[in-house]
Amino acid sequence: MSLAGSFEVLPNGDAAFDIRFSAAPSAPLSETIIALAEAIETASPDTVTELVPAYQCLTVCFDPLRLTEAARLQDLLVSLTESALANRATRSGTRYLIRIPVCYEGKFAPDMQTLSAHSGLSPGEIIARHSRPQYLVHMLGFTPGFLYLGGLDTALQCPRKARPAFKVPAGSVGIGGSQTGIYPQATPGGWQLLGRTPLALFRPQTLSPFIARPLDRIQFVPISAHQFAKTDPLAAPEKTALASPGEGTP
Amino acid sequence: MSLHILKPGLQTTIQDGGRPGKLRWGLARGGAADTVAMVLANLLLGNPASHPCLEVTLTGPEIAFTTDMSIAITGAHFELTLNGASVENDTVIRVQAGDRLRFGTLQSGARAYIALAAEFAIEPCMGSLSTHVIARFGGVAGRALEAGDQLPLRNCRIEKIRRLPGAYRLDYGNRPLLRAVAGQEAHHFLSRAQQQLYAGGFTVSPQSNRMGIRLDGPPLPGENLPQQVSSAVCPGTVQVPPNGLPIISFVEGQTIGGYPRIAHVISADVHRLGQLTAGTVLNLERIDAEGARKIQREKAHLLMKLPDLL
Repeated sequence: MSLAGSFEVLPNGDAAFDIRFSAAPSAPLSETIIALAEAIETASPDTVTELVPAYQCLTVCFDPLRLTEAARLQDLLVSLTESALANRATRSGTRYLIRIPVCYEGKFAPDMQTLSAHSGLSPGEIIARHSRPQYLVHMLGFTPGFLYLGGLDTALQCPRKARPAFKVPAGSVGIGGSQTGIYPQATPGGWQLLGRTPLALFRPQTLSPFIARPLDRIQFVPISAHQFAKTDPLAAPEKTALASPGEGTP
Repeated sequence: MSLHILKPGLQTTIQDGGRPGKLRWGLARGGAADTVAMVLANLLLGNPASHPCLEVTLTGPEIAFTTDMSIAITGAHFELTLNGASVENDTVIRVQAGDRLRFGTLQSGARAYIALAAEFAIEPCMGSLSTHVIARFGGVAGRALEAGDQLPLRNCRIEKIRRLPGAYRLDYGNRPLLRAVAGQEAHHFLSRAQQQLYAGGFTVSPQSNRMGIRLDGPPLPGENLPQQVSSAVCPGTVQVPPNGLPIISFVEGQTIGGYPRIAHVISADVHRLGQLTAGTVLNLERIDAEGARKIQREKAHLLMKLPDLL
C-alpha cells in the first residue's frame, strides 16, 4: 500500500478544496503533501490563492472570479495527487536542522511540576528527553509562525490543562497531548509549559519572517536563565543543512 | 502633512487588502474586516481598491487635519460632524487644514472606513500597511491608534465631489441574512443540529472580534461527532467546539483548527461579518457552492462597474 493510502478531493466552502489522505500522519505523508503543494503551485499559479498543508490534508484555495468551472480544478487536483503519489514526489530545496535555545528553568517552566508528577520523571530527565529528538515540522499554522512538530517522546505526553491560561508569554514551549511546540505570540493557551525560548519565531520586520518551513527539523537546546537574558530575540538560530530528503527520518 | 488623532475611538486601525497568500505560514490575511465598504470608500476618491484606509470599530475617533484634502467615509453609519456641522457617508468630503472630524453615535453596522485622497507615509510590513491586531504588527507599531498619534501623509489631493449611487449604499439596519454552504463535517452532525443552525436562533456574542464571530444561543447537539485531525480554517468557516456554540472564523482567525466544520459563510458574504454587532440575531441560509460563486461574480462585477458610474 502507498504511504499516503487513498485520498479524496472534497469541497471546503465555495472557494477551496481539501485533498484528504486516509493514512495516519507521518513524515512520508508530510513529504508527499508538501511536494504536492509545489506541484499545484506550478500547474495552476493564477487560480490558486492559498495552499495550506496539514497533517493529513492539503487545502487548496482558489479565486472564484478566475475559475469558471470548479469541477475542472477538482479533476486537476485528483490527477496531480495521483501523480505525486505514484512518483513518490519530494519537496525541492534544502531542509535544515534548526536549533532553538530553550530555558527550562524557574519561571520559564511553570508546569514542570505537573509534567514531572504526570510522567514520573525528574525535571532533569524531562529536559533530556525533550531536547533529544530532531522534531519534524509537519506544518505551520494556527497563529503566525506556530510550528506543528512531530516526534515527542511518548513518556512526555501529557493532557492539556482543564482551564487554558488566559495569556501564555510569547516564546513559551509547551506539551499538549502528543504534541510539543512554541507559542510565537502571547495568546491564550492550554498546553503544559516547560520552558521558553528567547528567540522570536515570527519576525515580520525581516526578510525571512518565519524561522522554519515544513519538513525542516527542530531541536531544542537547553540554556540557562543568564543565557536567555543575553540572547537577542532576532538572533539567527543555529541552522545546519540536512542531507537528502528522507535521510535522518526515524 | 498628517492626521492628528485627538481621540482614538474603541479600535481605529490602518487597514488595506491585508496579506493574502500566507495562510501556509499561519498568517491570516487580515486587512479590512469589511472589504466591500473599504473598496467603495477608495473608489469614491479614485484610489486603488485596496488603498490603505482607517477602519473604525463601534466607537469612532476624533481626527484633526493639517492639510487640505478629500476623504470619504463608508460602512457603518455614525453621526458624523466636521467642525460641528453634519457630514454624510458615501460621498466625497472636502477637508481643510485645521478641520476636525468627529464620530458621534453609532446608528447601524459596526465598522466604518475613512479613505483618504492621500497616502500614509508609513513603511509597509510584509507587503501591507494593515494592522494585524492579533499578531501585533503592521500599521502603527502593530496596534490600534492612540490619542496623540500623528500619521504622516504624502501626495494629498482634492477630488471632485462624487456620491455612491443608491444601489451601492449599504444598509445595516435589517436582520442580516448570510448565505452559507455545507461544511466538510456537516454530515457528522445530527439533522436537528443543522436545522437549528439555519433556524435563526443565534445572536452575535460580545466576545467577537477580528479573529472570530462567536455565537450565543441554545447549544447545537454534538453527539457522535468524530475527533478531527487539525487542518485549514478559512475566513467564514463555521466551527462547532464541544460547548455547541458555533464560531465563525474571521479575517485574523487561526489558520489551522480541529473542531468540526458545520458550514462556511460564502466568500461573497464574509465581508458582512465585519458589520455585525453584539446581540444581533444572525440568519444563515444554506445554498450550494455553484450558487455562491455566482453571487461572488455578480458582486465583483458590480464593484468593477462603479468607477464608470461615479
